[in-house]
Amino acid sequence: MRKESLVLRFRLLSFLFGLVLLAGGQAAHAVPSFARQTGQSCVACHAGGQFPELTPYGRLFKLTGYTMGDRGNPLAAMVVADGTRTRNNQDSSGNTLSPKDGQFILDYGSIFVAGKLADHVGGFAQFTYANYDNQDANGNWQGHWGSDNFDLRYASRQVDANRDFIWGLTLNNNPTVQDVWNSSPAWGYPYVSTTQGAFGGLPATPLLEGALAQQVAGVGAYFYLNQHLYAELTTYNTAKAGWRFLSMGNHTGDANHPLTYLDGSSPYWRLAYTRELDAHNFMVGLFGMNAGVLPLDGNNQPIFGTGSTHYRDVGVDAQYQYILAPHTVTAQFRYIHEKINDDTLTLYTGPATLNSTRLKVSYVFRNKYGASLALSNVSGSSDPTAYAGSANNVPDSRMWTPEVFYMPLQNVRLGVQYNMFTRYMGSATNYDGNGRNASDNNTLYVYAWAAF
Amino acid sequence: MKTKLSAFSSALLILAVTVLGACSNVDRNRGVNNPALSGQTLVAQVCSTCQGFTGESVSPEFPKLNGQQRAYLVAQLTDFKGHVRSDAKGTAYMWGFTHLTPEQIDQLADYFSSQAPMHRPAVPAQSLARGELIFKSGLPDLGVVQCSACHGAQAEGNATFPRLAGQHASYITAQIQVFQRTDQRPRGEPMKQVTHLLSDEDSKAVARYIESIGEPR
Repeated sequence: MRKESLVLRFRLLSFLFGLVLLAGGQAAHAVPSFARQTGQSCVACHAGGQFPELTPYGRLFKLTGYTMGDRGNPLAAMVVADGTRTRNNQDSSGNTLSPKDGQFILDYGSIFVAGKLADHVGGFAQFTYANYDNQDANGNWQGHWGSDNFDLRYASRQVDANRDFIWGLTLNNNPTVQDVWNSSPAWGYPYVSTTQGAFGGLPATPLLEGALAQQVAGVGAYFYLNQHLYAELTTYNTAKAGWRFLSMGNHTGDANHPLTYLDGSSPYWRLAYTRELDAHNFMVGLFGMNAGVLPLDGNNQPIFGTGSTHYRDVGVDAQYQYILAPHTVTAQFRYIHEKINDDTLTLYTGPATLNSTRLKVSYVFRNKYGASLALSNVSGSSDPTAYAGSANNVPDSRMWTPEVFYMPLQNVRLGVQYNMFTRYMGSATNYDGNGRNASDNNTLYVYAWAAF
Repeated sequence: MKTKLSAFSSALLILAVTVLGACSNVDRNRGVNNPALSGQTLVAQVCSTCQGFTGESVSPEFPKLNGQQRAYLVAQLTDFKGHVRSDAKGTAYMWGFTHLTPEQIDQLADYFSSQAPMHRPAVPAQSLARGELIFKSGLPDLGVVQCSACHGAQAEGNATFPRLAGQHASYITAQIQVFQRTDQRPRGEPMKQVTHLLSDEDSKAVARYIESIGEPR
C-alpha cells in the first residue's frame, strides 16, 4: 500500500473522529443526535439497544418525522472496525477471493445529520466513508465517500380519545429505508455484516433487497391510523440532476460506483397491520415494487431505447417483539417473490422468478448481552446468463447466521457472526462444477461498532 | 429537458417541505422542552406515544397513569425533571423532560388524574390469595406492612401515595425491586423499609392481586 494513500485514509477517519468529538459532548446514543433531541436513551427507540431495530416508540418517533423533542446539534458519527475470515479464501484457480481476509481493519465510518428541522419536519441523512472500497490498477486500496441512507419527512399527527391519525410525506433514496419495521429490507438483518468478505450474503437477491439503495429518489405519502393500519405509496426515479445529492458517490460511467438508471418512475407500495398486546407487539404486512432498470454499456453509461430489465416484486412480512425489561425478544420474517423479464437479454436469458425468504430471531438480556439466529434462503428459476457461476444455472442458496453480541455501553457493540452455507447456487457440494462446496464459503465476522 | 424537469421537481418538493415545515402549529408541536405548549398538547403529541391518550398504557414497560393521584404525578414529574428519580426506565424515557414548567406539570397531573381509573386485565389472574393477604394484612413477622395502610383499602392511593389498583403487575414488581435494592427513587424511602424482606415471589403475588382489583372492563 502506498504511504500517501494510508495517510489520506487516516486523515479522513481522523476527521470522522473529530466530528465524533464535536457531536459527542453529551452522553452518546444511536443515532446520538436523536437521543440528544429527545433526552432519551438508545433503548427507548431501539429494541434491546440493538441498533437499528426499532421499538414501538421508535417507530412512532420516525413516523412523526423525527420531530419529537427539541432541535439541537444534528451531527453524529459511527465507526466500524472488523475482521473477516473465509473458510476457503481461494477459488479453483488459486486466486484470493477476499484480499483483507484475516485482518482486523478500520473498515468504514459514517456521519449522520439527523434530527428535527422544524415543528413538523425532520430527517435522517447518512454519509459513509468506506476505507477499503476498491483497489486501483496497482493494487492500492482506494477509500470512497458516498451518500448512504436518507429520509426527509413532513409529518402531522392528530390524536384524541377516539382517533390517532398520523400522515406524512417522505423523500428518501432507498426503497424501504422509510419503513419502520425491521422485517423490510433496508433496515433488516444483518445489521452489520462483512463488507470485505466474498460471501457476506446470498448470491442472488430481489431488486428490493438493496439494488436501488442510494441510486434513486423517492417521493411518497403515508398514513398510520389508530396504531393499527399503515399504508404508503412512494414513487422512485433515478437520483440524477436535482436529485444527485441522494446518490452522491455514484456517477454515470464510474466503473466502481456506476449510477443505476431506472426506466421512468417506479411505484412502491406498502400495507401493514399492527397490534399491541401487553408487552407483545405484532405486525403483518404486504409490500411491492415494479421497476425497469436500464442496461449499462461497457463504459457504464445507460443505454436508452433498447428496453430494460423489468422487476415485479411482491413481499409479505411479519414482525414480533416482546419488550419488557430485562428481556427483549424479537423476530422478523420476510418473503419476496420476484418476476423478471429482461428485454435486453443481457442479464437473463428468459423470463425468470426469484424467491427470497428471511427469518431472524434474537434475544437481548439487560440491553447488554444478545444472540440471534438468522436464516436466509433464495430459490429461483434456472438461467444460464444470470447464474453462470452455478453448475446447474440456479441461484438456490441457504445461509444460517448465528450471532452473539455484547454492548458494554449503549453506543458500543462488539459481535461475532458466522455465515454458514448449507447450499450455494444449487448445491451443497461442487456447486460451481470446479469442486467448490457451499461450506467453503462459510465466513466468520467479528466487529466493533461505535456511535457518538 | 428531463434533467431540467428533475431539477425543477426536486426544488419544488424541497420548497414544499420547507413551507409545510414553516407552518408552525403550537397545538401539534412535539417539543419536550417548549414552555409554550399546553399540557394537553404534550399529552396528545408526546406522552400518548407510550402512555396512550388516556394514560392507560398497553405495554407494561410503561405505568398506567389514568386516575393516578394528582400529588403523586406532580412529585414524579418534578423528580424526573430534576433527575432525582434515576431508575433505569425513568432515566431511559423521562430524563429528557428537564424544562417542564410548573404549569405544564400541573396540567399534566390534572389531565391524567382526572381520567377514568386503571382497569384490571381482561383475563383474571389465578392464585390471588397470597397477594390479597399481603395487601390487606402484611407479613408482620417480616416487617412487611399491609399495602392498604398507605395506598388505601382499594389501592386507590392517597396524595403522594400512588393509586395501584389496576396497575401493570410487572411494573409494580419492578418498582418494588427498585425500592428494595437501590436508592434510585428517594421519595420511596418508606417503601424500602417495608419491603426489604419481601421475597420476589411475594412481590409478584401482591402485584398480581393489586392489578386484579382495577376497575372492571
